[in-house]
Amino acid sequence: MPRVRTLIIGVPLCLTAVTALALWTVSRISSDKKNEMYIGSIGEPTTLNPLQAADSAAGAVTGVIFNGLLKYNADLVIEGDLAESWTMRQRSTFFFANPEEAVQAAANMEAQLVDRAALHLGKYSVDGDKLVLELTLPGVADSQKLAAMFGVAPLAAKTLGITAPKPLGDALEDFAAENPAARVVRVWTNGNLGEIVFLGDPDTVRAGLQKFLVARVGDKGLVLDDIVAPPFLAEPEVDFRLRDGVRWHDGAPFTSRDVRFTYNALMDDRVASPRKSDYELVLSLATPDERTVRVVYRRPFSPALESWMMSIMPAHLLEDLAPDQWPMKFNRAPVGTGPFKFAEWKTNQFVRVVRNDDYFRGSPHLGGIVFRVLPDPLTLRLAFETRQIDFWGVDPWAVGSFRQDDRFTLFSAPSNSYNYIGWNLRKPMFQDLRVRQALAHAVNIGQMIRYVLYGYGVQSTGIFTPEMWFFNPDIRPLAYDPQKARTLLAEAGWKPGPDGILEKDGQRFSFTLITNNGNAIRSDIATLVQADLKAIGIEVNVEMYEWAVFIKNFVNKGEFDAVVLGWALGQGFDQFQIWHSSQTGPEQLNMVAYQNPEADRLLQAIREEFDRETIIELCGELQQLIYDDQPYMFLFVPEGTSVMWKNAFRVYRPGPGGKWIDEPVTMTKAGWSHYLEWFYRPEYPPQQEN
Amino acid sequence: MAAFIIRRLLVSAVLLFFISIISFFIITLTPGSPYPWGELNPKVSEEVKRVFREKFHLDRPLHEQYAFIMRDLFTGNLRSIKDERPVLEKIAERLPATLLLNIGALALSLSFGLMLGIYGARHAGRPPDVITSVIAFIFIALPGFWVSYLVAIALVDWAAVPILGTHTIGVAFTNGAQVFLDRWWHVMMPASILAIGGIAVQSRFVRASMIETLREDYIRTARAKGLDENAVFYRHALRNSIRPLITGIGMLLPALISGAVIIENIFAYPGMGRLGYEAVLERDYPTLVALNFVTAALVLVGNLIADMLYAVVDPRVRLE
Repeated sequence: MPRVRTLIIGVPLCLTAVTALALWTVSRISSDKKNEMYIGSIGEPTTLNPLQAADSAAGAVTGVIFNGLLKYNADLVIEGDLAESWTMRQRSTFFFANPEEAVQAAANMEAQLVDRAALHLGKYSVDGDKLVLELTLPGVADSQKLAAMFGVAPLAAKTLGITAPKPLGDALEDFAAENPAARVVRVWTNGNLGEIVFLGDPDTVRAGLQKFLVARVGDKGLVLDDIVAPPFLAEPEVDFRLRDGVRWHDGAPFTSRDVRFTYNALMDDRVASPRKSDYELVLSLATPDERTVRVVYRRPFSPALESWMMSIMPAHLLEDLAPDQWPMKFNRAPVGTGPFKFAEWKTNQFVRVVRNDDYFRGSPHLGGIVFRVLPDPLTLRLAFETRQIDFWGVDPWAVGSFRQDDRFTLFSAPSNSYNYIGWNLRKPMFQDLRVRQALAHAVNIGQMIRYVLYGYGVQSTGIFTPEMWFFNPDIRPLAYDPQKARTLLAEAGWKPGPDGILEKDGQRFSFTLITNNGNAIRSDIATLVQADLKAIGIEVNVEMYEWAVFIKNFVNKGEFDAVVLGWALGQGFDQFQIWHSSQTGPEQLNMVAYQNPEADRLLQAIREEFDRETIIELCGELQQLIYDDQPYMFLFVPEGTSVMWKNAFRVYRPGPGGKWIDEPVTMTKAGWSHYLEWFYRPEYPPQQEN
Repeated sequence: MAAFIIRRLLVSAVLLFFISIISFFIITLTPGSPYPWGELNPKVSEEVKRVFREKFHLDRPLHEQYAFIMRDLFTGNLRSIKDERPVLEKIAERLPATLLLNIGALALSLSFGLMLGIYGARHAGRPPDVITSVIAFIFIALPGFWVSYLVAIALVDWAAVPILGTHTIGVAFTNGAQVFLDRWWHVMMPASILAIGGIAVQSRFVRASMIETLREDYIRTARAKGLDENAVFYRHALRNSIRPLITGIGMLLPALISGAVIIENIFAYPGMGRLGYEAVLERDYPTLVALNFVTAALVLVGNLIADMLYAVVDPRVRLE
């Protein structure tokens, strides 16, 4: 039976032979690169629709496909993108008991005005019992200074926010019409959400509105909130002048209609955009003509300007498509205005984009970019070493060896993130500031940075990180000083007990430190903290849970002693959600229940301030205040390092005054990839345009 | 035969129903809930979370959620929580790559297993058998992820060949043969690591069953007739001793579409295992339920086919 025998030996031999041939072929395949760039990431984008995506993998891809109205330049200053220019102003409306008082107030103000420009005052006018100020810069502070000159006290306007179980429709308008005594001066409705500003007696109005709405929409899930707002109408206004001649990747012209559509989609419940909260303060968005967009806000909200870095979506493709069709029709084949056009998406493999020759700043030099999904960190490195990807975000343990290898170029900068241990301030144990300071002195953060990050990081000095434009560089980090920690704990009444663990009123100083598993840095932190605190007589039990469990069962409920976590916050100076005393409920982000009226005031002021210098000042104060309070043990800001094969790319970009600049890839404040659209491979030199 | 098949199909349908209930409740018993906005996103408001929960019926009691999922599954409208794409589309998208990987692995484990098993049986008790046995036991004991890393690092360090994904990225292929061989290479790397355990197990099966068959009376008869040893071995003994392999075919069907989580992750291979793994981490209930359902259905069909094959191969088995 030689036939069977041949088969039994032949088949495995054949398989082996073909595989060997394949190995030989693959190793011999031309190493000449196409004119493309390859970027690897661990995660895969969930969707390429920027309205709905919240992950960084999606952000990297949509960043080259879409444009916002505004963007950051290399120094993190806001500049125009799809908008060629923009202007901001504000209308502040004060209400008086009668027209005579309004006239009187205007006259008093005029008499005391010394420097109109310093207070950004433009025109002002009296309209019945209203005094309307036109300001050239939005914000609350200027209006308050002007109001102090009135001599006559204006009526205080109060704001009530409404969350209803179903759409409100015209309910609020009807309430205003039926209850003249409430003196409603403004109504805003968006789906289930609404807001009224009124001058009447707060308690009466609240009770009346509650009763009225229960009759209209039912009481299950109806919530009325007092909203912190200035006691007058302060309505900032932003006018965007759009760039002319921009085309979508399919050739259709870009107009103000697209901006209006994007805003409407963001607010549409069916779209369920995670960015919706950035736009909830918009009162109205108007498009007087094809190249003008006018946005009016209900009150000053300075992060609003950054929110217009949001990618603008093509109205002509999406307007007539129900949002539940987007996942199939658009989200995996997006059309934008950016330097690269979407080409293909192979699930779990890669997303490829190709050059947009029609890009409004000029055609990019690269033929395309391939964003590869490589889920395993170790093989990601192998992919880099076989030149299957051009950039790699190096893990801290490998940075040293790449630094010494002159085949590579490294880009390092502190990341916009920090790690911390949050003390649950609901627990009596952590309520004493001396205890929290002692804990901070007891942990050797310098050593932690050496062991956990191999030295690639800096000690954190609070809620902002060094690369943010509003960071306060003057804060001194708390030093490692176990002796001082012991003294502080003794002052707070904690004395060593029989087993060496500190005690106070019969209670041992023992707590549970939790974190999520699957994150080596966080578990290393927990271990080191455990050891350091044991040395001063504090017992720490470390527990780790899977992420979803960790969040749902512990963090969201506020049921924990201490937690190891990190924040990655981009350039967000508005940290209201993380630190304001109103944000301590279940599922809210002030999970440690930090409450400080001064911090509340600063958080509110920062949101209402539009002047860059003043924002820096207020943020500096806030950072110092919270660092002094130590609601977290602020640990470190890791350094992010990316590595590139030496001279794999250069940058050829338009510089100031129309001159083109040819330079190596360098680190900017906005990262190494800030000029991604102008990267080129030296093998494929760009067409010189000088 | 027809009556048997119909009865079995009916029983399978009932079974499938119970399997779907149990798997749904096990999945939802896992602590945690879907949160598709990354780690603690400060921008996501209560309102957005509420709309999200309503959209996927997460605000309803469990039995209603189950009913919604089953309704959508059978009308083909079941959407993934992660990206709102139809779940069946997501499964279908992974199917070709997964089939390729698993067929590759099966081809390797069957062919090498058979060869090594026969070789071992032929030299039973002598040094060649001892050597293959030791190798087989080492193969069984080796953890796949560890071998994967070693192989990957060795190939990259010594040969600098790309190993990740389904093909080499960024080079212009000059002809179809290159494309084919490149694809072959990228499938065979993870497949051969998947097959390591299979080769070892199959070879032990074949060897044991072969040695057992060689003790049968009819083999002695064949030898007594003066048949040459190769004919006895390959014609008489082999046919009867590969029956365990054929029964195993029933179990192959689900294995063909189920993924290999760890190997797929290491080799960045776009298969079913990663789909399931990511769905577990994201608490993507619809995808998990659909995956479980499809796998369970295939197991049942596989069993049915195995039973029928039994009847074909073994005259002693009758279907009633």
